[in-house]
Amino acid sequence: MIKCENLKKVYPVKKSKGYEALTEVDLEIKAGDFLSITGPSGCGKSTLLHILGFLDNPSGGKYFFQGKNVTSFNDRKRSMLRREKIGFIFQSFNLLPRFSASANIMLPMLYAGVEKSEALERSYKLLEDVGLKGKENNSALELSGGECQRVAMARAIANKPELIIADEPTGNLDSKTGKNVMALLKKLNGEGLTVIMVTHDNELAKIASKIIVMKDGRIEKTVGR
Amino acid sequence: MKITELLKTGSLEIWHHKMRSFLSFFAISIGVISILYSLVLIYSMSFRTKKALEIAGPGKMTVQMPRSGGENTDPNAPKDVLTLDDSLAIRKEFQRLYMVSPSLKKYVRVTHGKFNAHQLVEGISTEWRRRGWIYTLKGRFLNQYDVDNFERVCVIIKTGGWIKKPKWIKLYSWKDRFQEYIKHNEVLGSTIQLGDNLYTIVGILEEPVLEKNPKTFLSMSGRWGGKIFVPITTAQRFLSGWSMNGDGIESISIDTGEEKKINSYKKKIEKFVQSRHSGKLKFEIKDYRELIKEQLTDKARDMYTVLIIGIIAILAGGIGIMNVTLATVYSRIKEIGIRRAIGATRMNIMSQFIVEATFLGFIGGIAGVFIGIIGIQYLASKGNTDMMMVQWWMPFLSILAAMLTGFFAAIYPAWSASKLDPVEALKYE
Repeated sequence: MIKCENLKKVYPVKKSKGYEALTEVDLEIKAGDFLSITGPSGCGKSTLLHILGFLDNPSGGKYFFQGKNVTSFNDRKRSMLRREKIGFIFQSFNLLPRFSASANIMLPMLYAGVEKSEALERSYKLLEDVGLKGKENNSALELSGGECQRVAMARAIANKPELIIADEPTGNLDSKTGKNVMALLKKLNGEGLTVIMVTHDNELAKIASKIIVMKDGRIEKTVGR
Repeated sequence: MKITELLKTGSLEIWHHKMRSFLSFFAISIGVISILYSLVLIYSMSFRTKKALEIAGPGKMTVQMPRSGGENTDPNAPKDVLTLDDSLAIRKEFQRLYMVSPSLKKYVRVTHGKFNAHQLVEGISTEWRRRGWIYTLKGRFLNQYDVDNFERVCVIIKTGGWIKKPKWIKLYSWKDRFQEYIKHNEVLGSTIQLGDNLYTIVGILEEPVLEKNPKTFLSMSGRWGGKIFVPITTAQRFLSGWSMNGDGIESISIDTGEEKKINSYKKKIEKFVQSRHSGKLKFEIKDYRELIKEQLTDKARDMYTVLIIGIIAILAGGIGIMNVTLATVYSRIKEIGIRRAIGATRMNIMSQFIVEATFLGFIGGIAGVFIGIIGIQYLASKGNTDMMMVQWWMPFLSILAAMLTGFFAAIYPAWSASKLDPVEALKYE
């Protein structure tokens, strides 16, 4: 599903060559994989995640997504890929606070051109699936951390993506709620979705079928298939 | 994303930042009020001009002394003025002219029964009736005998009413005491005192209904003629206090019969009158269009001032909206990042902010139109301003101006928002 060759990311820094956040990253992820990326802070995990999720462009190398070289895709094409193929889950949930739970879930569907009535219906169904039936009209401010993350997960799968990108999804949750979220992620993976997760927690990383450990912008070690 | 969804988000944002939004749409409202007022004035002026020309005919001109009088500055020096003889000479020289009518006007005390007030009395010749407006005559009009023999006779104009009074004409609801008097008293054949002398009312000229009267669409200041007519010679001899000496008159109304000939006649008559006064007489010839233009000049100046104020206000409103939108963009950087992450394109982000600002302009426009129409109705009812004709398209045009202001003011902030790096935006707290 994903193939990266010699991927590089350099951030410009004044009066120097720039800061190299990623160096010669080669990576292959198959459809249905559950990949964990771990490593210390500043090792390039998030940079890699942003490039894989089309939020950022690599400075060098090639990125193939479903066989297509997407390295030189323009902003519009990358937005379309994000909208249709990818679902994001963030550490801080990143819900729109003034919107209700269902409105947050509807948002990516509306961007994708889904009819409002259908989007509303699907948002209710998704909230039921993540165990938040009855919370449809609660704003994000009225939900607990765990509930917010479940809404975020429902939003991530609203457009039926093929890839879920999770950046420290349990980072802001207590251990019990974190486990529930991980169980949900595992369930989604079990339904065929590819999951890429960044985490500091080595125990959580073990849930994945494949773990890559990063250091200083390079892949230091790959564990698993 | 559909515009309804963008509007929903926009209204949420506007509601969430009530005071900030109110301040920016308030400025827009002031601009809209001024623009609406200017539109009403522009339309009313052009309607009046068109209507006045349509009814009165475009072939008319007036030879008149400048307002400052003759060119002599020495008060003891004899003034060279337009004379009745000039009028008669023009008639003789240009026999194809449809009408040559001299005029001399004076406000004098008018007494009849219980009525006693100052009124404008106008000295005219028999040709006055040719001016083309349709009057119904009761009794008789002034004749050549009256003019030749300085007869103390007069004809009174009785103004017509509305067939169906338009709503915007509230201005004209004021009552003319003299008209009220003659409406309720039979004056034909009776004696009336004009100044120091008694006159016999020999005729009543009933004006056409107001819809068909060109005066309706012109100024009501009285410059367009009196309501009591006496023979021009009688006016020269008996009505005291004329500023003109001897054979002097104020103006000569001329009708060429058709518009095409106005310019050539204008030149010829000017040359002719100059030749009669050895080139020393200071006078001017204005055709009907010029007279109307002159009347409307002051109004136009006011109107342009209001329009400029309106444009400045609406621009200030636009800058306000730009400022608010920029502030909104900075306060919603994180939201922009989230929207971009879940698939919003740059265009989606731009349209979000543009729709919000245009909506803000729309609200300002609605408020402005609402207040503006109430204000205009109030001014019209007080009668201290000119004709007020609010057309259905004026509020729409004003609202459109407000929306366009919001639209254009939001382009730069919206563009800035769409240029934000999604990764940086997501990190923003």
